[in-house]
Amino acid sequence: MSAGGDHKGGNVSAKALTKDPLNLIIAGVGGQGNVRMSLLIGEALVREGLMVTIGETYGASQRGGAVMSHVRISKEAECSPFISDGRADVVLGMEPVETLRMLGQFGNPDVVTVVNTRPIYSIDVTGGDEEYPSMDRLLDTIGELSARTWPVNATEEAQKLGNPILANVILIGALVGCGALPLDEASLEPALRESFPQDLEANMTAFNRGIELVRRQG
Amino acid sequence: MANVDVDAPGTRQLFIGNEAIARGALEAGVGFAAAYPGTPSSEILDSLASVADRAGIYAQWSVNEKVALEAAAGASFAGIRAMASMKQNGVNVVSDFLVNLVMTGSGGGGLVLVGCDDPSAISSSNEQDTRPIAKWFDIPLLEPSSFQECKDMTRWLFDLSEELGTICMLRSVTRIAHARGVVKLGELPKAQRRAFFDQVHDARNVMPTRFMPVPSSLRHALAHVKLENARQKFESSPFNWYVGPERAELLIITGGSCWLYSLEAVKALGIEEKVGILKLGTLWPLPERLVEEHLGKSQRVLMVEEIDPFLERSVMEVSATLPPDSPRPVFYGKRSGHISAYGELNPDVVGKAIAAVLGLDYPTRDVEYGRKADELAGAYVPQRMMTFCPGCAHRATFWAIKNALKLDGRQGIVTGDIGCYSMALGPAGFFQVRTMHCMGGGIGVANGLGKLEQFGFDQPVLAVCGDSTFFHAAIPALINGVYNEANFILVVLDNSATAMTGFQPHPGTGVTATGQETGVISIEAICRALGVAVAVCDPFDLAGTTSTLLEMMADGGRARVVVMRRECELVRSHREKTKPYTVRVDPDICVGEACGCARLCTRVFRCPGLVWDEDARKARIDEVICTGCGVCADICPQGAIIKEAT
Amino acid sequence: MTTKVKGCRELLDEVIDAGLCTLCGACVGACPYLVHYRGRVVLLDSCNLAEGQCYQYCPRTYMDMDAISRQTFGIPYAGDELGTVREIVMARSADAGTRAKAQYGGTVTALLSVALAEGLVDAAVVSKDSEDRTPGPFVARSAEEVLDCGGSNYMACPVLEGLNRIPRQSEERLAVVATPCQCLAVAKMKLNPPENRVDIGNLKLTVGLFCTWALSPDRFHRFLRENLDLPRVLRFDIPPPPAERFDAYTASGRTSFPLDQVRSCVMSTCALCLDMTAEFADVSVGSVEGIEGWNTVVVRTEAGAGIMERARASGKLETAELPLENLAHLKEAARLKKVRALRQITDRTGSRSDLLYLGLSAGVVDRLLR
Repeated sequence: MSAGGDHKGGNVSAKALTKDPLNLIIAGVGGQGNVRMSLLIGEALVREGLMVTIGETYGASQRGGAVMSHVRISKEAECSPFISDGRADVVLGMEPVETLRMLGQFGNPDVVTVVNTRPIYSIDVTGGDEEYPSMDRLLDTIGELSARTWPVNATEEAQKLGNPILANVILIGALVGCGALPLDEASLEPALRESFPQDLEANMTAFNRGIELVRRQG
Repeated sequence: MANVDVDAPGTRQLFIGNEAIARGALEAGVGFAAAYPGTPSSEILDSLASVADRAGIYAQWSVNEKVALEAAAGASFAGIRAMASMKQNGVNVVSDFLVNLVMTGSGGGGLVLVGCDDPSAISSSNEQDTRPIAKWFDIPLLEPSSFQECKDMTRWLFDLSEELGTICMLRSVTRIAHARGVVKLGELPKAQRRAFFDQVHDARNVMPTRFMPVPSSLRHALAHVKLENARQKFESSPFNWYVGPERAELLIITGGSCWLYSLEAVKALGIEEKVGILKLGTLWPLPERLVEEHLGKSQRVLMVEEIDPFLERSVMEVSATLPPDSPRPVFYGKRSGHISAYGELNPDVVGKAIAAVLGLDYPTRDVEYGRKADELAGAYVPQRMMTFCPGCAHRATFWAIKNALKLDGRQGIVTGDIGCYSMALGPAGFFQVRTMHCMGGGIGVANGLGKLEQFGFDQPVLAVCGDSTFFHAAIPALINGVYNEANFILVVLDNSATAMTGFQPHPGTGVTATGQETGVISIEAICRALGVAVAVCDPFDLAGTTSTLLEMMADGGRARVVVMRRECELVRSHREKTKPYTVRVDPDICVGEACGCARLCTRVFRCPGLVWDEDARKARIDEVICTGCGVCADICPQGAIIKEAT
Repeated sequence: MTTKVKGCRELLDEVIDAGLCTLCGACVGACPYLVHYRGRVVLLDSCNLAEGQCYQYCPRTYMDMDAISRQTFGIPYAGDELGTVREIVMARSADAGTRAKAQYGGTVTALLSVALAEGLVDAAVVSKDSEDRTPGPFVARSAEEVLDCGGSNYMACPVLEGLNRIPRQSEERLAVVATPCQCLAVAKMKLNPPENRVDIGNLKLTVGLFCTWALSPDRFHRFLRENLDLPRVLRFDIPPPPAERFDAYTASGRTSFPLDQVRSCVMSTCALCLDMTAEFADVSVGSVEGIEGWNTVVVRTEAGAGIMERARASGKLETAELPLENLAHLKEAARLKKVRALRQITDRTGSRSDLLYLGLSAGVVDRLLR
């Protein structure tokens, strides 16, 4: 994946930043691909002329542990790669329990949340040491802790499209579609084109599906 | 991974800190880069290797950090700019060469050592601050506070190294190395230098060039001179700056990742006019006059840094030398307990420390929300432990080891090492591993345990190490075991990759860092050359592997080796994109929780692809996570797990 | 004291690691956690269950002997030397070939052949030697297969593992040839039938074997390997006192060892066993001291009487009166075993009311230790 193209700094983007810095957390399970997703979104944001800092937890965490990307979006300021407790503005959860974990630490009354409704059971759960809450309970709780929630069954939709890995791009579509970020369809296309030169069509379909899934929720 | 050699000066790219360091080296005209994979440093060499051919440089994955630094020094001695990068443990490994290198001096090519620390040991065995080694060994040290500085400092350090004739160090941490930010690019050099080891150092005296640390009275004194030269430059370095009022209620002195944390913390408290921040980028030698100057700005000084009180002590030393009538500030930091003396920091931690010093309230989120969020997350968020990936050979290996040790019945133990398989300390590997220290540590410890027979010791000893670890550190210890006739079995977990750090190649994989094919160095051939009994097993053949281990343990005597050979699943699936088997659970055969099974597959074996269906009270395969290795079909006592070849 | 069922960890602590395990096999073969390996029972992982059938059926966890005796015979445990006796005779297989292959009189082989031939059982769970003379459980389904398993090598064999492995849904009627401790385990299984393994209601016949002690397979097999060419051995024998010999017969003749060498391989748990004549079998079979080629047979239950009647009627089994002298010796030997064992147990526990795994009435204990 290359970071090609000139990223102009300082231009005002087509979609304005509602808050500066805007804090996005992408949360999931090691191996789901949150790092690639944060890069994709980051690239798109930088193309819009914004300053972006992305903090990652990876390395050992990849082995099935909880991972998160902290995306700081600002017009001019360089931010630290950490979002402080209680200061997330947008949460993109690739897994329901991880979404709730994020809201527990970083949520606040104004946070908006997009969540993939497919569970990934930790070995603590499958081993019988811990309980995984029901999906209804999880979504209710996530809803209680967010100003607005968009549940998306991205994995199932991706399987319908032929490959579960497309879930990630569906979620990006959902994130863009819900309007929480200063991005629209047009801003993502060049980044998708660059990331997936071979499978562009499949990924564009997945991306648009994600937009559709949230717009349908009103 | 980003293309770090993109030829577009003046443009802005999104780089992780490591990519920015690689870019800085390229802009400096680095010719030779060597490293051993280690989180959070691996991407430095990864990104240089991926552009090496095109950029006309040489990049190498060395067998260990010591050889990497020695090789880089060799290039420097021949006039080529060279860099060695590593994690904090690598700095330990190079320490003997490094201290002597400081005495001998570097060569005509600037030489830079990059050490990446991992505060909170997120991906490490230990947490360690490498900055003090600069003070200990007399090495000029810089630490970047931003992605731009990662590039700019690295670029500058090559110049500094050449000017002073000594190795220079850049220290980074995970939150800079792996975080991504905007970097404005500089120019790339057009041509490389010619390598030549100049035989005559000083043309007038015709003295032969010698890189030797003796006599120490001369060389050590010279090292101090170089350091003092560095310090003078640091006094006016653009990498140090101050923001804030002339007279402040609080002066923060900080460096590295903590600059942005401090900045954000002050902003969150809304006290930018009251608090000044002295950001230091040149950490050793400390620019003492600069520090003295700023110590006068406030009566209270808060030292913010990761991990040890390195700057704190250095600044306190400076403060102690101030004239008797100077106002002595009160120092806050790790000594006072305002900042933790272990673990990584973040803006909240710093903000709370500032608030505590100034007697302010640190803004938290809405209290009612906070209470609700804590309660709900506490109730409904189960733990998520790390484990081996689905399809990982280590799970099968440790299952066989567990059973073999139990069947053998002599309370055998496993000494461990560094890699994905370190997780065998926990439930992922059925708690089999009992010791873990450093690369090669396991087989070293086994050498000791294997010579205790005269003291009545009769427990079988297995030492596990990975294939990359074998080449890094295990070979001398294995030779020791043969030569001194120690009774242990070395179990080499050969998954054909340096997996934990990102699947880098090594001497056993037949590929170099730049993708060239090269001869495979056979682990078992090396062992056989030592006269050691070697068995090669496929860990997925649980029965065969278990019986091989039992036989080996029954043999006793000198060191023996078992190679567990099966490719890392992430490497295989990335290449093949298929699953060998479709695996499913037959719910009619699965007995589930009854006495007779008690959920062996999910409760004990614990592959993430095996989940427990709470409603049906049966095991089930998660088809998205399952990689189709089929091993679970062999452990189900009822034969309820069915595998069908695809 | 009521029988408290515990789990595999307690089985490990109280029985296996405490040196009480007799290798009967009752805990092995029904779950993935307990396995038998080279003469030891090994717990590979804990099932984490608080109560387990492994503990419940083990003949070395607490047993209320009265309860077991009532279930089997309808009467409390009296502590008689030979247990409950309906009839006691001498017997031998009518077929010389069988007698040559088997131990002593070949009575066990004859009884099983009859049971299989007449359709009383479909399969018999017995001990069979592998090629290198390691004993293991075997399910025999024909007279030939039974004959093939004849003979004893005096090593403990986890025969009940073979019983455990019979699938729940199998409708085969079964016989088992069991040592005294194995008979006790089977009695415990009948008391609390298992739900997830063999249907114990299918067990129609328990043939007990007299037993003074059993040899540790691990230690004794090593001794045999070091001193004999095992595949060439035809059979083993321990002749009655005062021979003090252990004999191994090959095609070319007999090799003998001092019995003391063999005694060092006896499992220590055997010293704590009160049962010499398999008191909880349907019919128990042993040797006849001083009379070669015959077995002593003790018939105990209706099922035992039934198979004896069929065997006599079929002509496959010859019986004769057991000489009174032999009966007296047998009773005395059996009594002494009880007394020695009780003394060992009470020495270990320091009290007559703590008998480790035995729940015996005080009256029985006092009478035996008088």
